[in-house]
Amino acid sequence: MQLKREGEGQGSIRQALALAACSLLGGGASAQAADTPWEIDSAVLLYSEADGRVSAIEPVATARKEIREDEFVQLKVVVDALTGASPNGATPSDEVQTFTRPSGTGVYTADPGETPLDDTFRDTRGAVSLSWDRPLGRLQRRTLGVGISREFDYTSLSANGQLSRDINHRNTTLSAGASLAADFIHPVGDIPTPYAVMVPPDQPQPRDTDIDDKLTLDLLFGVTQVLGHDTIGQLNYSFSLASGYLNDPFKILSVVDGVSGKTRDYLYEKRPDSRQKHSLYGELKHFLGGDVVTAAYRFYSDDWGVISHTVDLRYRWNLNRENYLQPRLRWYSQTAADFYHHSLIAGEPLPEYASADPRLAEYDATTIGLKYGHRIDAGSEWSLRVELYRQDGVDHPDDAVGLQRNLDLFPETKAIIIQAGYRFRW
Amino acid sequence: MRRWTALGLMLIVVSGCSSLGVKPWQRGVLARPDMALAAESLDAAYDDHIYFSKEASSGGRGFAGGGCGCN
Amino acid sequence: MEIRRVPAGHWVGRFAAMASPCELLLDGGDRAGMERALARVAKEAWRIESKFSRYRYDNIVHRINSARGRPTEVDEETALLLDFAETCYRLSEGRFDITSGALRAVWRFDGSDRIPEPRAVAEVLRRVGWKKLSWRKPILTMPDGMEVDFGGIGKEYAVDRCFKLLRAETQWPFLLNFGGDLRASGPRASGEPWRIGVEDPTMQQPGAARIELRQGAMATSGDSRRYLVRDGRRYSHILDPRSGWPVAGAPRSVTVAAPTTIEAGMLATLASLQGENAEDFLKRQQVPYWVLR
Repeated sequence: MQLKREGEGQGSIRQALALAACSLLGGGASAQAADTPWEIDSAVLLYSEADGRVSAIEPVATARKEIREDEFVQLKVVVDALTGASPNGATPSDEVQTFTRPSGTGVYTADPGETPLDDTFRDTRGAVSLSWDRPLGRLQRRTLGVGISREFDYTSLSANGQLSRDINHRNTTLSAGASLAADFIHPVGDIPTPYAVMVPPDQPQPRDTDIDDKLTLDLLFGVTQVLGHDTIGQLNYSFSLASGYLNDPFKILSVVDGVSGKTRDYLYEKRPDSRQKHSLYGELKHFLGGDVVTAAYRFYSDDWGVISHTVDLRYRWNLNRENYLQPRLRWYSQTAADFYHHSLIAGEPLPEYASADPRLAEYDATTIGLKYGHRIDAGSEWSLRVELYRQDGVDHPDDAVGLQRNLDLFPETKAIIIQAGYRFRW
Repeated sequence: MRRWTALGLMLIVVSGCSSLGVKPWQRGVLARPDMALAAESLDAAYDDHIYFSKEASSGGRGFAGGGCGCN
Repeated sequence: MEIRRVPAGHWVGRFAAMASPCELLLDGGDRAGMERALARVAKEAWRIESKFSRYRYDNIVHRINSARGRPTEVDEETALLLDFAETCYRLSEGRFDITSGALRAVWRFDGSDRIPEPRAVAEVLRRVGWKKLSWRKPILTMPDGMEVDFGGIGKEYAVDRCFKLLRAETQWPFLLNFGGDLRASGPRASGEPWRIGVEDPTMQQPGAARIELRQGAMATSGDSRRYLVRDGRRYSHILDPRSGWPVAGAPRSVTVAAPTTIEAGMLATLASLQGENAEDFLKRQQVPYWVLR
């Protein structure tokens, strides 16, 4: 074929392209994943309760890597250093109260009118978990994980697995998972006998064994659904069955005079040895003119009689490509466990189970917070979040007797939470 | 208006029915990292841990968990 | 993914990738073999899609586009594609440019009459131009605000990559068709050509064209539904990145046959960019082509 004269320069484009295509397609383009970076997500949390109660510092790091195409491993390391004092369950009184430390040696005291706090807490927890997430065929994924958590007096081992499947043109994802955990508790001074009376130190202490355990089985079923081009939703049902030693070995109850309200004795608490939890969790994420609104609700119920509602709202205000502010409001409300008693009345028959742990009382809690995030580039971001947490319980319950009527019987927790995070590729 | 200007040796046009088209689908905003349900997973893990140790309820978003002596 | 055996006797498997319906036609073997082949092809197409899609936030394209002036080290495969894009930029004297995506911010080809202000075009054009970036394998450094987009070559590249993979795995004749970009390994087992229906890009005729392909590749540039009309003048969606304005007299669609899909696709694109001279350009290349005006 004749080439036109002015086209001679362009006539060679086909040959040049053929050459370029050859080097493009001849190359070893299969080498991928080998050089994928580690995605590191790290943060430090400071948690500090008012009035010198618990404070904690908790650094966390996760490292995730795509080891083969669409197949990920993740390692997570957590360190949790805790100090401070915690309500021991005893009610305030008009006298100085003296308590035997859990170790059975030494005492701690509470001034008149003060919530008794056990200041023994000083513990460091270290936890490591590993998970492996891989596709099974085109529409399914499988995640397997193991974890160990160790603190001075507590050890937990767990294993979990989860399967998910995309259906409906990948607009719906169904998932099911199970987790099994075995926990061992071995407190200093051994495990107190439930309902035993607290005795002064340096006497034979009422102790059962030095170590006890509990087993927890968790099941989780979830649906994730694309609801239009800018909204995604999630609905989970989870079931948890724990059995074994479910007491808190550091918690006691005051036994008070039915008329004066004066404290006579302290008993170690006694909880059932099994607990079944059910929860239904829904979350919606909606893209709103450049910002992201997240709303979540959880209904929770267990066979200890606790029913709770949790609402969690977040608004991610994307100021620009790099910066965002995210205000957050969380509201929580729970009913008391059936066997919760702020104290027991002397002379009355003991109930089958009893605990004065304020975490099992009726109360509401609110968290308000603000998070600021700054994106450095595609893979890195730092963030800071500050939140205030506050519990509000019943300070003056109807069944308070005598001097109890003039004292606050619910030791509410007020805390500040500060979290600094940094995410990067490595 | 329509004009097929050339025919090749390897290819010939015959009449027939249409079977291929382009149906654009884009993940669009749902692909944004801040629209992922697992976004802020570290925050969520901290929250689960804090509220597990301070409240009677746990679980929902993920496994009810535990693994610490804090409750 | 769906698999069926058509009356013509070969297997047809379908899946969706890169915003297009994708097909594998395999002439021979059993269903299990077809399933394996389709899975192989789909997996590779999805891999390429997720790696080079600009709609994702976790891939190399996003890393490059959000590097904000800092150098990005790219992997071997991305380097090869950047080399190829650079060659095409040079061969087309700047008409083909993978940094031209920024022009999308001002040009929306939705059939309306919204022609952007020349000032706005000029403003965006400051962030367009391959020669403004520095590419020295394996380091790409691009001024902040610029972006690369492999959309112009990604689908064709995927066909060729899948072709290569499958070619090593099956001896049955096969044809790949990713949204109209095709490549066949050879004629059917019977010696007949493959017959494929293609959409009429003008959408004016319900029963459009059907083509027959024996061996090699074919690709199309152009989409007649993407244009603007103002004062009776039609603006095609083929933009000249040198000026920021549509190419005058660009054909509605250009289809080219070549040994590989990426060559066919690039020849079709370069021809469209020639505007009124598209046919002359293609004649000089001595390739089979179809131009729809």
